[in-house]
Amino acid sequence: MRRVTRPAASLALAVITVLAIAPVMAQTAKPALKPIPRTADGKPDLSGVWVGGGFALLFGDAEMEAIRKADAAAGRKPLPPAEPPPYKPEAEARRQQYLARRGIDDPMAQCLLSGVPRITVRPLPFEIIQQPHRVVILYEVHHAFRFIPTDGRPHPDDMEPSYLGDSIGRWEGDTLVVDVVGFNTNTWLAGVGTVHSEKLRVTERYTRDTFDTIIYEATMEDPEVFTKPWKQYATLRLRPGERIREYECIENNEDIQRFQKLLETEFKK
Amino acid sequence: MRTVCTMLCALLAGTVSVAAHHSFAAEYDGEKPVTVTGVVARIDWMNPHIYFYVDVKGDKGGVTQWKFEGYPPNMLVRQGWKRDVTMKVGDTVKVFGWRARVNPTQAASRDVTFADGHKLNSGPPAGTGGQ
Repeated sequence: MRRVTRPAASLALAVITVLAIAPVMAQTAKPALKPIPRTADGKPDLSGVWVGGGFALLFGDAEMEAIRKADAAAGRKPLPPAEPPPYKPEAEARRQQYLARRGIDDPMAQCLLSGVPRITVRPLPFEIIQQPHRVVILYEVHHAFRFIPTDGRPHPDDMEPSYLGDSIGRWEGDTLVVDVVGFNTNTWLAGVGTVHSEKLRVTERYTRDTFDTIIYEATMEDPEVFTKPWKQYATLRLRPGERIREYECIENNEDIQRFQKLLETEFKK
Repeated sequence: MRTVCTMLCALLAGTVSVAAHHSFAAEYDGEKPVTVTGVVARIDWMNPHIYFYVDVKGDKGGVTQWKFEGYPPNMLVRQGWKRDVTMKVGDTVKVFGWRARVNPTQAASRDVTFADGHKLNSGPPAGTGGQ
């Protein structure tokens, strides 16, 4: 029997080992994740054009399907389950009335500015511009904008109730936390009939968990209508190459007249 | 169907409900789908929805004009539509959608199939924003 030399045996062992583990490596190897960009002060940089809701409506079913597959491949966890608004009986009765009227009373249908958090998930993009002392959000829908100071200043003492309220931000680790108060009552929070009072306080948390996504969490507190805080979530998706366009909602809004007619006929008391 | 629901439900879990401009159910009936084929008579390429009008020939030779609602221009262009190019007055199209609750010749369009066979989404699925 021919004697196998030590170098030859080592080489054979190496080849066998590589052949044995190669399929495993091929199965487990994943492309390197793009790092989350950071600003000079070390904070995650949220700057970019994002879409917070209605991705399929905006870009089509094929792109939504591609996202589903990418999420599954990356092992992305689903958002926490939705909970109904924890309304007190009077507020819940109002919501049920609006639902029975099929959302015809929606302020959005009259092209009125959406509030927070609803504006985040309207199916049109928004751009975040992050600066050292503030974060600016420019929304395509309604040409809306928010300036969110992050320099430690408090809410101003001369606030008038408004659709988007007044925002101030701070960083908790890698999460941008935005405190929003000073709302009027002309908006719905997150769907048909989700009413609120002027005592509404919304705490938004923006956490860029990957290069392509921000986990958005909105906690709504309102002692007038809620029995406890209400949380809603969304995945904000980066849209490279996208730009904010013009959207003039009132241009040809026939809905105002048609919905008014429905209210005067079908829903006349 | 269950698979679709499972995927959509998982996707929508915990999320804020989405509406383009108004609740679908406000004006349209998701239980009443309709498909018509006809000739485009007019296009209002405007916000917050486009409207397009399609002349449909009846069995007895008469023509009925249908009015279809669709996405706003900003959403259509992101799905490949181009104003005055993708759909023009005089084009023959097949439109699928859902009937309005009041006007018998109005509908919310979901997709348009063009003469060369290609199809594009033109509006949201039934039920959008109605939660």
